[in-house]
Amino acid sequence: MNVVVCVKQIPDPAAPPSLDPATNTLNRSGKLILDDSDAYGVEMALQLVDAAGGGEVTLVSMAPNGEVSGLRTALAMGAAKAILVSDDVLVGSDALGTAKVLAAAIRRAAPDLVLAATESTDGYTGTTPVQVAELLGFPSVTFAKKVEVSGSTVKVQRQTEAGFDEVESPLPAVVTVTAGVVEPRYPSFKGIMAAKSKPVETLTVADLGIDPSEVGATGARQAITSVTAAEARQSGEIVVDEGDAHERIIQFLEQLKVL
Amino acid sequence: MDFTVSEEMTALLETVRRFIAAELAPLEHEVEERGVLAPEVARTIFEKSRALGLYAMNVPGRFGGGGLSAVETVMVEEQFGHTTDILVRRAFGNVYEVLFAADAAQTERWLLPCVRGERTASIAITEPDAGSDAAGITTRAERVAPGWRINGAKHFISDAAFSDFFVVSAVTDPPKRSRGISLFLVDKAAPGVTIGRDQPMMGLRGTSHHELFFDGVEVGDEHLLGEEGTGYAQVLATLGRVRLAQVGARSVGKASHVLDLMTRHAAARRQFGQAIGEFQMVQQLLADSVIDVNAARLLVLRAAWELDAGRDARDWIAMVKVHASEALGRVVDRAVQVFGGMGYCKDLSIERYYRDARVARIYDGASEIHRMVVARDALRSGAALFDSMGSGGWAPEPHAATARGGGR
Repeated sequence: MNVVVCVKQIPDPAAPPSLDPATNTLNRSGKLILDDSDAYGVEMALQLVDAAGGGEVTLVSMAPNGEVSGLRTALAMGAAKAILVSDDVLVGSDALGTAKVLAAAIRRAAPDLVLAATESTDGYTGTTPVQVAELLGFPSVTFAKKVEVSGSTVKVQRQTEAGFDEVESPLPAVVTVTAGVVEPRYPSFKGIMAAKSKPVETLTVADLGIDPSEVGATGARQAITSVTAAEARQSGEIVVDEGDAHERIIQFLEQLKVL
Repeated sequence: MDFTVSEEMTALLETVRRFIAAELAPLEHEVEERGVLAPEVARTIFEKSRALGLYAMNVPGRFGGGGLSAVETVMVEEQFGHTTDILVRRAFGNVYEVLFAADAAQTERWLLPCVRGERTASIAITEPDAGSDAAGITTRAERVAPGWRINGAKHFISDAAFSDFFVVSAVTDPPKRSRGISLFLVDKAAPGVTIGRDQPMMGLRGTSHHELFFDGVEVGDEHLLGEEGTGYAQVLATLGRVRLAQVGARSVGKASHVLDLMTRHAAARRQFGQAIGEFQMVQQLLADSVIDVNAARLLVLRAAWELDAGRDARDWIAMVKVHASEALGRVVDRAVQVFGGMGYCKDLSIERYYRDARVARIYDGASEIHRMVVARDALRSGAALFDSMGSGGWAPEPHAATARGGGR
């Protein structure tokens, strides 16, 4: 079974982020790393391929400046190869533009299953994977907390507020996975050393046969009009237990109307 | 000079960091409290690490190790400084380079099981009357055809309780002094080997430090490591790498860890209506620590680079040993000050780092010994010995030869 994992390479969340004042978009000119939320999809894909007894995991990513650092991390975990779309015309792409590019790249890999995170850690739109599914004409299942493949069907436990739904879908399909789906492995010493020689196919928009006017800032139908700093969190109230803490906590919860 | 870290090394360091943070750091408090690492826990972290290929990374690939260069090794060892000695020993191994001198049969019997993590060895050199003066040992190995009989006592032998065998230094030819010392591979279970008491230490909880007694221990020639009489030279040649990695690089890691804690604390802790990091006297503590850590790190990398270039790096390693261990001492002391009472309290790890740091200035050659090495080489070869340009073509000043201290 061949699985494609959509992986995003993002600015290191540990470093202070900066916005481009002209476009209000995140500055992505520095070194990028694998989005932590994508490590779950990579791990899930590796486990599904193992369980199937054959096949391989292909990574698909769109990033500026031919950036591959994040891809190497996922290759070190065990993915077999990667397709990277990197093209200056993609600067300023919105979620749909990104989905068009990813869908075109995924089509080349002809996968049985496409996995993605529910949302990225830097953009948080959470819309790209289902747009990719729509463009590919694949069914999509979101918020998977458990994924199993049986024959030509994918069985998913889909996280809901109350519990989970059991969903089955024919393959090929797009499934987005939550952070609870599996515990990502550490890239091993051997995996890290092998990652360098694994193939990364770098493509442009033209290579994918996409009209440049449909992607990038030109094709974007979404624009960020303004950005406001989030309000600083107020400090909480510390309850010191002098024998009556439980009463004060109950009182507090009653005030919040949660009891 | 290119300080770029390769993608592979970045990935490896990230894996090591994640492993330490997720698998080892949560064990630190219990080891500190109990003074021992439970054998089943030790086994678990070893197996997890080995499965990831993180065990014995410093060992050349031809012996089944990770084959890291000296520069790569010290970068990994710096990460090891972010946790405790015993957890590093069990998770990542401690295969001493001195074992690489083993012949083919010895490699099979002694070295390879260590690389695979099936056996562990300790180095047994230190004696009650021979610490920094490693040539002053009195443990004696006498020729008793067809092998040797060893008598003597060692102490402060790290991890002796856990180790399966020892690399023992013994005098084989007393008149030749340092050229009359040889190394022997001695099984812990060999008749006549007695493990003495565990000598309690100020820090390094969880790692045992034992007395060892050799009472007529008989070993064959196949237990002699390297040529007879080359023991002291072997120790000098190989323990430098251990010193660089385990004292130098790990001191940088420990200092870096504590520096991170103290910087965060200085930014978050408010007194008199402001973060204490805004007070200039606290800023000086932070700035001096940043400078100490980075100067030590560069010195460690330079020494490792000299080794990778195939050069004798003993002077560089001596400089590292002094500077990194003393920088660590200064940084942990400042950290206690920045944390105030909480730095002195066992609720935080700062006091543990403070206690663990002290021995870095003592073991593997005290600071004073390494200063002596540096000074002697400087006097012999000139200070330019340590300059990449060598003498750089500068002629001595005309009066330099006749100048006398005090007056002009």
